[in-house]
Amino acid sequence: MIQVSELSKTFHDRKKGDIPAVRGISFTCRPGQVFGLLGRNGAGKTTTLRMLATILVPTGGTAKVAGFDIIEKPAEVRRRIGYLSGDTKLYDRLTGRELLAYFGALAGMPRAAVAKRMTELTPQFDLADLLDKRVGRMSTGMKQRLSITRVVFHDPEVLIFDEPTAGLDVIGARHVLRLIQELKGKGRTVIFSTHIMTEAERICDEIAIIEQGRLLAEGPLETIRGRAASRSLEDVFVGVVTGASNGDR
Amino acid sequence: MVTAKTFAVYRKEITDALRDGRSVFAIFVFPFILYPAMIGFMSWIQTKNAEEARALTLRVGIVGEAQIPGLADSVRAISGVEAVHLDAPPRRLEDAGLDAALVVPAGIVDAVGRGEKAKVVLFYKEADNRSSQASERLKPVLDQVRRSLTVAWARSLGARAESPPEFRVEERNISSKHEMGRFFAALLIPYLLVFLVAAGSMHMAVDTTTGEKERSTLETLLATAATRGELVMGKTMAVLTASLTGAMTGIAGLWLTFNVVAKLFPGTERQSMQFVIGPDKALLLLLTMIPAAVFISATLVAIGCFARGMREGQAYASYFYMATIFLGLGSFGQQNPAQSRFFIPVLNTALLQREILTDTVNTMHALTAIGTSCGLAALMLVIAVRLFSNESVLFRT
Repeated sequence: MIQVSELSKTFHDRKKGDIPAVRGISFTCRPGQVFGLLGRNGAGKTTTLRMLATILVPTGGTAKVAGFDIIEKPAEVRRRIGYLSGDTKLYDRLTGRELLAYFGALAGMPRAAVAKRMTELTPQFDLADLLDKRVGRMSTGMKQRLSITRVVFHDPEVLIFDEPTAGLDVIGARHVLRLIQELKGKGRTVIFSTHIMTEAERICDEIAIIEQGRLLAEGPLETIRGRAASRSLEDVFVGVVTGASNGDR
Repeated sequence: MVTAKTFAVYRKEITDALRDGRSVFAIFVFPFILYPAMIGFMSWIQTKNAEEARALTLRVGIVGEAQIPGLADSVRAISGVEAVHLDAPPRRLEDAGLDAALVVPAGIVDAVGRGEKAKVVLFYKEADNRSSQASERLKPVLDQVRRSLTVAWARSLGARAESPPEFRVEERNISSKHEMGRFFAALLIPYLLVFLVAAGSMHMAVDTTTGEKERSTLETLLATAATRGELVMGKTMAVLTASLTGAMTGIAGLWLTFNVVAKLFPGTERQSMQFVIGPDKALLLLLTMIPAAVFISATLVAIGCFARGMREGQAYASYFYMATIFLGLGSFGQQNPAQSRFFIPVLNTALLQREILTDTVNTMHALTAIGTSCGLAALMLVIAVRLFSNESVLFRT
């Protein structure tokens, strides 16, 4: 479960002064559901997800991830999350096995548990051909498989995906989306950011539309569609975002 | 602060470094190629220079050659020297086609007989190889001139001096190869250790920190269950291992050069010396090096955390590297350093190691040096962790 309450983040720049990236947003992601955070580039999606992953510290409000406050118990939060960002890279000089063992150890897994988990996940993620291969020599698809395996390796309760299909081809993107649906099926809490509306339509149970750090709409996909009297999420999104922009003017 | 996660980071960084060809070459191959190559090349250059100098034919002008009987013949007798009669000193040696000019004033023998001051002037150019070589070759003749004038003076006082005995000072270095080895070890090793530690840690420290930012692996790492302290400690330990390994292979390379390689090549045998450091001293050198190495590694890790990109990180790291080299160089020629010098990081370790190698350890010096280095190492670790925990530093662009 993720409970976000009035979460804010303001960056300070010496020249530009204070730059509000997220302005008091609140929403809830429930276990067994995929929550889509939709917004344009620069809307505040990545900052929100980075705060939930305790990479950034909020300047206002707070959130609870898997029952732990992200400000007060960041270590407990990190123990229970898997985080994947579309532009995240892996260590080129490690083999697939070493990489998984490394992140397993950082998650606090004992060696025996790491070995067992690797055996479990090998058929599921088709890892056999990449365990003893160095990451630098892997194809993009192999790297993607390894990245996803890394995220679920310590079996986290909550999964945070920041534009995970960015830069992937159709097959790679489908693979990621299928994994997200599988995780949902296992009762995990999944939050997923994207600006590709078709992806959100395919896998999200609930969505939130964020623009200039503000939450403009939030709720079950069908409810939001109904509110906007449109079957296309893209139309809904454009309507909400442009409406807000016009309102700002 | 050191946990299983710290060791996981440590193992990963070491594995990563061992697969980086540049690091492996710098730590394990370079010292065994660089030092033998350096001494071999320097000896070869020295030998070649000496051969070329011997083959030179030099022109020496003499003004007043008749003033001291036999002078011109003595100059002509020097192998590879052509003596040229001059009426007056030349304005410029080059214009007269000369490499040196000897000017003997008129009536010098009589003047000496009267007990007056006498002066023979040798004009040459130290900045010119041929000219300085001419001055070298004329030195025995000038000694002979001195003797002739002394005889002339003695005769004027009624002495029956016919053929003066030859006085010669012979310099003999009676230091054994073992003693020479100890002397050079005490001079070089403390400096080399700090230099090699800084050199060995520089690349890796920047690569493990700024490299994470540049390769977009930082976010993933920060989202793991490891604390920032565990991550920084693991990285610093890996950098420390690389730097100490680099320092040890560097010293081993030096030992190999002086003890083995120098004896193998003709012309370099004279450079050979017994570079013997007992296991007790080797252990003490290593133990005293550790606090300074932690300080250097943690500083470089802090620099890496602070830098925005690899280029910036490498630039900052190279400034720090140069500072350590200067501090290490400061240890040269300090026979009885003041207590205050042992508060200066890096320099204090080099000075303490010199005392260890020359069996002159002063307890206060040792305590000050180790205490200061430990304190600074702890401070730099705290700073590195703070920087690695500061999002405005980690994500600044």
